[in-house]
Amino acid sequence: MQAFDYKYQQLEPVKSFKRVPGPEMYVPGHRTCAGCGPALNYRLVAKAAGKDTIFIGPTGCMYVANASYLCTPYAVSWIHAQITNGGAVASGIEAAFKIAMRKGRHAGPFPNIIVMAGDGGTVDIGLQAMSAMMYRNHKVLFICYDNESYANTGVQTSPMTPYGAATTFTPPGKEIPEGKTLFPKNAPQLVIGGHPAVKYVATTTIAHPLDLMNKVRKALSQPGPTFLHMLCPCPKGWLFDEKMTREMARLAVETGMWSMYEWENGTYKYTNVPKKYKPVGEYMKHQGRFAHLKPEHIAKMQAFVDEKIKQVQRPIPVAAAVPGKQ
Amino acid sequence: MAKAKMLTGCRAAAEGAKAAEVEVICSYPIRPYTAIMMELAKMVANGELNAEFVHGEGEHAQLSVVLGACAAGARAYTGSSGVGVTYAMELYSPMAGGRYPVQMTIADRTLDPPGDFGSEHTDAMCTRDNGWLLGWACSPQEVYDNTLIAYRVGEDHRVMLPQMVCQDGYFISHIPDKVTLGEMSQVKEFLPPYRPIGPLSLTHPVSHGPQIRPDQGAPMDAMRAQTFLAVPKVIEEATADFNRIFGRNYDPFVEQYKLADAEIAFFIMGAHSNTCRTAVDRLRKQGVKAGMARLRWVRPWPTHQLATALGHVKAIGVVETSTSYGGAMRGGNLIHELRASLYDLDERPLVTSFMGGLGGETIWPADFDNMAKVLTQAVKEKKVRNYVQWLGM
Ligand SMILES: Cc1ncc(C[n+]2csc(CCOP(=O)(O)OP(=O)(O)O)c2C)c(N)n1
Ligand code: SF4
Ligand SMILES: [Mg+2]
Repeated sequence: MQAFDYKYQQLEPVKSFKRVPGPEMYVPGHRTCAGCGPALNYRLVAKAAGKDTIFIGPTGCMYVANASYLCTPYAVSWIHAQITNGGAVASGIEAAFKIAMRKGRHAGPFPNIIVMAGDGGTVDIGLQAMSAMMYRNHKVLFICYDNESYANTGVQTSPMTPYGAATTFTPPGKEIPEGKTLFPKNAPQLVIGGHPAVKYVATTTIAHPLDLMNKVRKALSQPGPTFLHMLCPCPKGWLFDEKMTREMARLAVETGMWSMYEWENGTYKYTNVPKKYKPVGEYMKHQGRFAHLKPEHIAKMQAFVDEKIKQVQRPIPVAAAVPGKQ
Repeated sequence: MAKAKMLTGCRAAAEGAKAAEVEVICSYPIRPYTAIMMELAKMVANGELNAEFVHGEGEHAQLSVVLGACAAGARAYTGSSGVGVTYAMELYSPMAGGRYPVQMTIADRTLDPPGDFGSEHTDAMCTRDNGWLLGWACSPQEVYDNTLIAYRVGEDHRVMLPQMVCQDGYFISHIPDKVTLGEMSQVKEFLPPYRPIGPLSLTHPVSHGPQIRPDQGAPMDAMRAQTFLAVPKVIEEATADFNRIFGRNYDPFVEQYKLADAEIAFFIMGAHSNTCRTAVDRLRKQGVKAGMARLRWVRPWPTHQLATALGHVKAIGVVETSTSYGGAMRGGNLIHELRASLYDLDERPLVTSFMGGLGGETIWPADFDNMAKVLTQAVKEKKVRNYVQWLGM
């Protein structure tokens, strides 16, 4: 694998809220729903990344509700990608900047190249393009803003939609009372398990803004591909009160529905681990998408989460040893 | 001037791309175009070409990678064949709509089923309504030349459109023929460096590809249609410059072979035109006033040039190497647009079509003799008996 030998940006961690960079790179004027988690996420990511950034926006809410009527809220360069190909378009942009720097057309710095993809654009129809980008070792940060459904098309089930959620493709009914019967994919593990070129993966939520921004900055300071999985509650898809977007993300962590961790070069670091997890019902009860569930369904969800949080105490071993930094 | 070398169409395409100093290349294997990428991979590995060679994970990715590269200001190059061309279908409209002048080189291959390596034009023809420039070569020399001409036209600021440069699989892609490569000075004189308009940049932030209101759609579509009206002039200029600088003799749109006094004519594109020329010579010896019109560009379609070139002919046989099942003429694609091009003439030639070369089958000189008989009969009877006939069946 060829080393990445272009001058790229090193972004220092932001120590406190007071030191958060001022300039907004994702500006007001977009058309997302009130309380939209992914929009808040975009603002934080763009702030953390700063002006020397290029966003790739695969089709999804963060395209359609942002870039409407020929006007967009991005103060940095941005390009629409198909929902299918965020990773591939980013690869091409990265390759173009390499050649531009080799030929002296672009003096630097190497841009922060960020794909801002929905869960569908990451783990479903966009998976192939993301995986190949990572395999080829492009210096690209791939972000999955996870609102746990194909939201933009009217809230259909995606591989990140939790068990038991009602979506427009998994309506609960007499024959299928729980709505969604499948359990979701594990997005970060898909990346960690199969992409030796990736040295940094992390999860976070919009309820942890400083943590979120610092993970963005750390990911962008790597010389190769990186991945962030960000929980972004969606009031329209999950059917909760739009005032509670941050509360939903916080409860997800407190109940173990979501775990916060960093994986760096083979080592896991879990943060925000609750002393005692709240029952999942505390999270689910606020959301209309779970309103139809019976106690046995909630018990099934609890069992799933109980199993999942075992990994938090016992970090998941990596299948193959990852070589250290050269 | 450089001496001619024996090169395949694939090698000629790679030499064209190298001469154009392409900067980002994205590959994926599928026969027969693969050999183009194999040649380019060697050039990059040897340091003959300073380019990023990206191994796409499929044709959809190939198109996506070069779209991103072109949006960021690089001259980008990719290619495919057969089902590879159709696998990438989603990207043709964003590429043209985004006005990204990438080049895609195509060595035609029959679409599945059945599995078949032979040339058929349906692969690239499927994409023709997506706003790309689209044209066919009939020799390795023309492949090399078209590679340069297409970049020059596509990157012209009056155009800014992606280009599909096609050659028949095997017949052109894999049979060596004489090719004279240009000198670097000639290439430099003909093809200026790519000057992107509003590329992705850190100093001048831009947004590429936001959504629109419905009422913004029609004006944008009309602008693209308007652009296509301007393309023929750019093609004429580029071809004239190319002919002057490289000492070639191309008609910009339609090669006209013994057409001036022809009574019957074959309308054809690609590799089989080489056999057709020989067949025309033979028919002429037998006293049949035959001629040939060979199409170089399908998009933009040279409506008026064809009406001028073919208006005086009594009967035209369209040699179709692509399929349009259930179409108006029940056979291929070209006849529809040729008939439409001739419709407004006071006296219209009779037009029928022949399905040939499907699955990569050879069209033999004897086939042209048989087609000539059908056309002569049509002239005599003052009508065509069929819209289409399948050769050899
Ligand atoms: C090839 C293709 N198939 C389907 C669609 C329709 N589509 C538009 S947005 C969207 C949902 C995207 O879901 P996700 O990636 O999770 O983003 P979200 O809308 O949830 O933010 C879909 C399926 C499309 N644009 N392109
Ligand atoms: S549907 Fe959800 S993700 Fe989409 S704009 Fe509304 S709140 Fe945001
Ligand atoms: Mg989603």
